[in-house]
Amino acid sequence: MAIGTDRYASRADTLLFIACVGLSIAALSLPHQWRDPLAQGLRQSVLAPFLFLQRQTELLAAARLRYDNVVAQRDSVALAATFLPELRSENTRLRRLLGLSARLGGGYVSAEILHQPEPTNPLSFVVSAGRREGVRPLSAVVSPEGLVGLVAAVDEHSSVVLSWAHPEFRASAIATDGSVVGIAAPHGAEGPGVWLLELQGVLYRQQVSAGTVIVTSGLGGVFPRGIPIGVVVGPAGEEKGWGRTYLVRPAVHPAELSHVMILTTPRPAGADLRNAFTVQRDSGTTREAPPR
Amino acid sequence: MRRTDRYRYPVIMSLLVVLQFTVRSRLGGDRIAPDFLLLALLIYTIRAEPGKSAAAGFVLGLLRDALTPASFGAGALAHTLVGFLSSWAKAVFFAEHVFVKGCLFFAGTWLRNLIVLLVSGRLQSSQIAWELLVWSPLQGLTTAVVGVTVLWFFRGWLSPRRAGGGGGGLGTSGVSA
Repeated sequence: MAIGTDRYASRADTLLFIACVGLSIAALSLPHQWRDPLAQGLRQSVLAPFLFLQRQTELLAAARLRYDNVVAQRDSVALAATFLPELRSENTRLRRLLGLSARLGGGYVSAEILHQPEPTNPLSFVVSAGRREGVRPLSAVVSPEGLVGLVAAVDEHSSVVLSWAHPEFRASAIATDGSVVGIAAPHGAEGPGVWLLELQGVLYRQQVSAGTVIVTSGLGGVFPRGIPIGVVVGPAGEEKGWGRTYLVRPAVHPAELSHVMILTTPRPAGADLRNAFTVQRDSGTTREAPPR
Repeated sequence: MRRTDRYRYPVIMSLLVVLQFTVRSRLGGDRIAPDFLLLALLIYTIRAEPGKSAAAGFVLGLLRDALTPASFGAGALAHTLVGFLSSWAKAVFFAEHVFVKGCLFFAGTWLRNLIVLLVSGRLQSSQIAWELLVWSPLQGLTTAVVGVTVLWFFRGWLSPRRAGGGGGGLGTSGVSA
């Protein structure tokens, strides 16, 4: 190929090409002390705007990446924060359980409620303690606030608990001052009243004021005396026969619980556990029960 | 010839230069991403005379060498050769066909890499084989795809001028030389 004389490149083209090749070879053979300043000069002059553009593009991409990371972290934190109230509530409840265990002294088993998604879960539920842990049928199930229910069936490592909301639940009850005696039972099987208790069998002549704390009486030997059941909120409709019935707001709602304590050792006759529990007054505040 | 024709080439060249320094790093690995600067040179050589193409290649290569001083001069020589040969080959195989131009972009990229590798002498033989048989073809392919896309997108701007429609085109200069 005769580049300089063919019909596709003029002589000027060929000369220019040869000159460029020569300059390139000269650039290749430049010593380092000349090559580096030349390259630096080009970078700081002709290439400077392009390098600036490239640097800004990289910064923009890095900022975008950091923004995505920050958004991801924020979303993770927001998700974690949604569990914070639940964790605080559980922490408070566990601390109360610790306090209750200290006050009970012994004769109990701690158990975790194995919540199920069924709507009937508050009526009866399974706890993670059974025969191996010393649980027996008809053992009282309590929380720091008061009575939760009783054990209906016992397996090897789990038990079925009937809560106070179960239609078959009954407990012998008494006012804290001993003035009123009755039977605590769930109030109705449907509607909002299902989550209330009622104090049945109160003598007609006895008036029970709202705010009266009702505890287990210890009669019958199932529940020890002094476990808070709830607080009287008022009479339940019209009186029938020779007895009165009062509505009682329960001390504890089974659906709110995560851990319970099962009383395993029978208490001596006359033992009163009132001082071990925190009592919720009608005002909604919680305080320690006064000593007998 | 429209009055705006003289501005169209610089606009497209500038666009390719900007793409080189902005989006190229987002288009995959450095060894396979399309080379927009080389593409600009090759598009320029389609219509420019071989001497001007060689000069443009030398300037472009020297600027790129400033960014990679380890092989200073190799890029200048490679781009000079590629620019000249591309312009000359376009005159020899004059065909306004998109496939021919795509092959020109592919071959130009591969040849540029070959010359840089051989002249710089920085790589071992196995690395050279990998570069020439794997990475350079891939980069040539991506560059060719982008080049064909650019030609198609700006086909109204980059279509060859008719004879008498303005000098400087290789078609006219090559045929009349």
